[in-house]
Amino acid sequence: MKILIIEDEETLAQSIGAYLSDESYLCEYAATFKAAMDKIDVFEYDCIVLDLMLPGGDGMKILSALKQQNKQDGVIIVSARNSLEDKIEGLQLGADDYLTKPFHLSELAARIYSIIRRKQFGSANIIEQHELTINLQAKTVLINEQPVTLTRKEFNLLLYFISNKNKVISKSALAEHLSGEVADMMDNYDFVYVHIKNLKKKLQEAGGGNYLKTLYGSGYKWEV
Amino acid sequence: MSKLLNLSLKKMIVFAVTVLVCSIPVYYVIFTKLWQMELDEHHIILTDEAGREDSYLIIVILTGLTVLFLVLLLVGFILLNRSISKRLWKPFYHSLEKIRHFDLNQREKPSFEATEIDEFKALNQSLDKLIGSSIAAYNQQKEFADNASHELQTPLAIVQSKLELLMQNQSLTTEQYAIIEETLKALSRVTRINKNLLLLTKIENSQYMDRATIDLSALLEETIHTFTPFAQSKDLELSSAIPPGITLEGNRILVEIVLNNLITNAIRYCTPQGGITVNLSPGKLVIANSGLEKLRQEQLFKRFGTTSSTKPGTGLGLALVKQISQRYGWEVRYRFENNCHYFTLAFQS
Repeated sequence: MKILIIEDEETLAQSIGAYLSDESYLCEYAATFKAAMDKIDVFEYDCIVLDLMLPGGDGMKILSALKQQNKQDGVIIVSARNSLEDKIEGLQLGADDYLTKPFHLSELAARIYSIIRRKQFGSANIIEQHELTINLQAKTVLINEQPVTLTRKEFNLLLYFISNKNKVISKSALAEHLSGEVADMMDNYDFVYVHIKNLKKKLQEAGGGNYLKTLYGSGYKWEV
Repeated sequence: MSKLLNLSLKKMIVFAVTVLVCSIPVYYVIFTKLWQMELDEHHIILTDEAGREDSYLIIVILTGLTVLFLVLLLVGFILLNRSISKRLWKPFYHSLEKIRHFDLNQREKPSFEATEIDEFKALNQSLDKLIGSSIAAYNQQKEFADNASHELQTPLAIVQSKLELLMQNQSLTTEQYAIIEETLKALSRVTRINKNLLLLTKIENSQYMDRATIDLSALLEETIHTFTPFAQSKDLELSSAIPPGITLEGNRILVEIVLNNLITNAIRYCTPQGGITVNLSPGKLVIANSGLEKLRQEQLFKRFGTTSSTKPGTGLGLALVKQISQRYGWEVRYRFENNCHYFTLAFQS
């Protein structure tokens, strides 16, 4: 899987690259508008992480260029601009998702994962991992061919873990994923614990392996 | 309170009255002397009775004349004063009116009328300079807040990403992990403060101007639904009385911020095992939560007015509520009764 990170802040680009490259992702970088245009002209990427404020031009123009060339690359905008207008404009120009800085790396990874799955597999979007089968379209989970009933939040959590395999994820990142800004405002991440406990129990009762590990007391990791 | 011009008029009137009243005995003495001299010259001798009658007559006539002139003088003074002052002080009152209507938020510089009088010219020029520099300072401060919070976002993103990368390190001890998590927590608070500052500046800079009629009943139900799990996790009882169909005019994002902030505060600062009530009626929303003591009213709605390191808030939540309410002419009030904090939002339904 090839990913292009268009971001003028080099250290941030490297963090994203370092986090993603442990997976099966191959990351390339572009720090200026021109470098980015050169790359997208020649190569195809599975997903592009796009910062809007670039030296030499507006990131929105890169979106338009991709659209003009009829490219199928998935695009996720990562921007410090948090206005509704920017979000709407970006999505209308063909971006698949929009994330505001600062963000959790695990959240970015989950969104990239979801974009790539959607682009590549369409309606046959099924993840298989050992005895576990997840149908992203129908939002169903099978363990050893037997259906497991999960709540919406539990399903979201499972998907989040799968897209951040072997990564330590903090409780706050999970809370924000589940409840957005509300969790952040409340400064209270305890409700995550309940959902994780239930998810773990349901998977194990259905005969699934013990992939979901608790680390250091309050971190979580999906180990495969 | 007295007007500047009446002050001088009053003094003049007092002076004129005193002079004229004092003149009565002086006139009397002089007139009697003259009268006596005339009588002596013509060898006329009056009886005591006739002499008394004459002096009474003199006193009456003198007093009558003095009062007449006094009235004439006063009427003249007042009329003259009025017409002079109107012309003389016109530029002053004009400038005063301009300053009274000046609003720093509008950032519109008032234009003062040209005047021939040196003092007023100097006054207008000074005012012009003063207002000009106020506006410039205000703009600068706003721009600074906007730019600063914008520029902060990228370094914040870098720090967060580096910490999260560090978290992936295989050889981390539990203690080290705890340090990282504490740091991330503080960082998320900084991020929130930054977001709220940016939001405040945006509202001040007249963004989010579009308005719509919002179904407040539905929005409030939705908000409460979102927050209920948080109230439950703290063992708080959250009850609400929300009649359907109550609407209000405003920007949806801003109204959501008001509701979120008020309810977040109620949950956050509620006493353990306490209760929270949300009551909506036409034109009025009351959110109450149990508390221990009255909050400091004058600090409550100020930026960072109530922050302390022991509290999890950003110190900007109620400032945002106030700012948004001001824009729409709503009124937000606080009172403490029966060990309960009441926040009331009065709006036009």
